[in-house]
Amino acid sequence: MSAPAPLIINGVEIRDSFAEAFPMAGTRLIITADTPRWAHTAAASLTGFATSVIGCGCEAAIEREIPAAETPDGRPGYAVLIFAMSLKDLKKIVPLRAGQCVLTSPTSALYAGLQGGAAVPLGKALRYFGDGHQISKNLGGSRIWRIPVMEGEFVCDEIVGSTTAAVGGGNFLILARSRPAALAAAEAAVAAMGQVRGAIMPFPGGVVRSGSKVGSKYAGLIASSNEAYCPTLRGIAKTALPAEVESVLEIVIDGLSEGEVADSMRAGITAVCGLGAAGGVVAVDAGNYGGNLGPFHFKLHQLMAPVSGATPEAGR
Amino acid sequence: MSGFRLTLKAPLAARVDASSLLPAALAGANVADVAARSLPFGTGTALLGDLFAVEATEQDGLVISGDRRLDHVGAGMTAGEVRIEGSVGAAAGAGMSGGRLTISGDAGDGLAAGLSGGRIEVFGNAGDRVGGPQPGERQGMRGGVVSIAGSVGDGLGARLRGGLILVGGNAGTCAADGLLAGTLAIAGRLGPGAGRGMKRGTVLVATAPDALAPGFIEAGPQDFIALKLLARRVPDLAALFGGQLSGRAVRLVGNRLAGGEGEILVLN
Repeated sequence: MSAPAPLIINGVEIRDSFAEAFPMAGTRLIITADTPRWAHTAAASLTGFATSVIGCGCEAAIEREIPAAETPDGRPGYAVLIFAMSLKDLKKIVPLRAGQCVLTSPTSALYAGLQGGAAVPLGKALRYFGDGHQISKNLGGSRIWRIPVMEGEFVCDEIVGSTTAAVGGGNFLILARSRPAALAAAEAAVAAMGQVRGAIMPFPGGVVRSGSKVGSKYAGLIASSNEAYCPTLRGIAKTALPAEVESVLEIVIDGLSEGEVADSMRAGITAVCGLGAAGGVVAVDAGNYGGNLGPFHFKLHQLMAPVSGATPEAGR
Repeated sequence: MSGFRLTLKAPLAARVDASSLLPAALAGANVADVAARSLPFGTGTALLGDLFAVEATEQDGLVISGDRRLDHVGAGMTAGEVRIEGSVGAAAGAGMSGGRLTISGDAGDGLAAGLSGGRIEVFGNAGDRVGGPQPGERQGMRGGVVSIAGSVGDGLGARLRGGLILVGGNAGTCAADGLLAGTLAIAGRLGPGAGRGMKRGTVLVATAPDALAPGFIEAGPQDFIALKLLARRVPDLAALFGGQLSGRAVRLVGNRLAGGEGEILVLN
């Protein structure tokens, strides 16, 4: 059996690898405010410190800006996605963050951005802040809560729907000739992936530089530096980097479904390939753990086949 | 055949209890079966076919001629549609939990008493005690939507527990008496004595009420985001007040004499 044909797009090698992802519970929230600035502030606060379930308990980010005409109350808004490892965790983390980051944010209101699935409490939990003065309204097919605050009233939906078909940990690695080239490629990827609805990149600016492997030499540490992709460890540890690669950045994707993660990855890798070898990009790889971490395997060759025009290899 | 048209042969000479004229109750019957049914008529009964000309229709639901002596139309309805061409008597839509009742004329007293779901539209006026309790009940309407294009009589929304009542015209005296929850919206004037014993819930009015029951305190004006939200989620509500709600309103809280924390929002 011959070795699989290499897949090269615009001088960028797409490695015959796969991203290994796992099931999550997720939901979408819509935050509005009097101005886009304050809607963004509340959304950024809600999704702060939510890069990885490893240390944050959830993964969250802004999905997109929503024009005022499309929001529930006609004010500027943002949609955010938030994911946790279980529905139980999601039901705990969503009201906690909403209470600390949206209820507190000037002029904000909080609405359900996802219907169906298990109900995750919003106003159902936050209403008690009203100390008995809270008001509910059950009109138009859903219940809202009005909670008196010093500024006026905080309005939010009682519940938001959820999905347990969400997928976390989609990813790809950008192997570049230089740090600036890696960063430019990552920025291009994030910009393109931002157009895909239903998926987010939870790390800072959508990019993670500290891709990890499972486990550590230190007891109690469940993740540690992925030395195979650390350019400064070439020669010390087993490396996955060719000699010309000086810098690697990773983009991690969470989505409300497997398809949205795939769409996001494809959009990102396509943007990276758009910069091509001329942009200092050498290869695109993906992080996996031998297939033992999660049931979702996003195979790069299959993913990029529609873009490259190549026939994907048969399943690995 | 999906529905029936019941056309009155002559104006009713006595009150008729029409609560059995429901889409579900007549489903599957033929014209002869329907005509052979009896209805409470005055102190006795009458055959439906003696009062109405019965005709099968292609459209689902029932279309019934109106008469001010026709009581309890749509009462207890759970699904389907009843359309009344003309006016009706008392207790239209009482105890409805689903479906749609449309009345092209006026409705008598007790419209939507004890309503728990569904939608009632009245294109004329309605009498007293719209959305109040059914006889023997402690609480009034607790769900659904009632829309009245014209004015209503006294006692609108007494002991209302939920749902939405929209009044395009004026409301008589003593609206929202003992109101527990839910929403009243009145585009015209709210008559005197409103809000006596009001516990919670919301009354939306376009203009300052004439004279509320004692026990209300003005909390001042406010930009209510909830009103902007409701204007988009409940188009009927926005339409009642001219197509949109600015969100700005003066909040009157009461009835404090009853320890209540209901609100009357006077829209600006």
